[in-house]
Amino acid sequence: MTVAIDDDLWSAVGDPTRRRMLDLLLTGGAGTATSLSEQLPVTRQAVAKHLGVLDRVGLVHATPYGREKRYHVDDEQFGRAVEQLSAVGAAWDARLNRIRRIAEAIQRSQDEQTDNGER
Amino acid sequence: MEFASIEREIHVQASPDVVFAVVSQPEHLREWWPDDASLESSAPGATGELIWGDEDNPRAHVEAMTVVEADPPHRFVFRWTHAVGEEAAPGNSLLVTFELTSSASGTLLRMTETGFREMGWEAAVLEAAYNEHVEGWNHFIPRLETYADSLVASS
Repeated sequence: MTVAIDDDLWSAVGDPTRRRMLDLLLTGGAGTATSLSEQLPVTRQAVAKHLGVLDRVGLVHATPYGREKRYHVDDEQFGRAVEQLSAVGAAWDARLNRIRRIAEAIQRSQDEQTDNGER
Repeated sequence: MEFASIEREIHVQASPDVVFAVVSQPEHLREWWPDDASLESSAPGATGELIWGDEDNPRAHVEAMTVVEADPPHRFVFRWTHAVGEEAAPGNSLLVTFELTSSASGTLLRMTETGFREMGWEAAVLEAAYNEHVEGWNHFIPRLETYADSLVASS
């Protein structure tokens, strides 16, 4: 998949309302613009627009449901979005662990110095 | 989870002064992040480089770094991933904030990295690449032990 598509995926999950919608779809299994708008402080029209954005980047898929469309999360695409962010988080976890080890080593050597000085 | 930022918190058994030095000085930076680092100073506006090497080229990856805010030993804020020579600004770089709070047994270190939404997916992919590149204690444990020994030896 190209970076251009990835950029779209990124901005799709970058919006807090759309992330909330993904949460609702993940916990509820599936939903329509109407059912989602009932659980969110935005209009049905706004929800439909957000669903369109999520649909275009492949994060949700629609199936006909009466006069509406019923949406569910595409697990694979959602997994990709989460995975890439987790990788960034993991990189910082590793860096922070190294920061801690270095700082604690310096502190120990300083404390030893102080102890020796007092003797 | 906020997808457009990374937030982490870690407790360090060292004083805020020590932790501040480790997160802001190039001689320490190169021990926990890139293979090599340069930074004019830790004052706001100071610029530097984060450098990763490979077998063929000691400067295989070079990223610019610009200090945004420095309030020792409380806050250190910098931008990185903007093109070398380009001025760091929102939209062309990631913003890293270190906040240090003194605690009974040391320092609470809080790190936030933002700018992914503005930078786009590519920045995350870049980070992921570094992750693979720099992660692995096989590489870091020997370096850290040598480093800690050298500190004790020089004291």
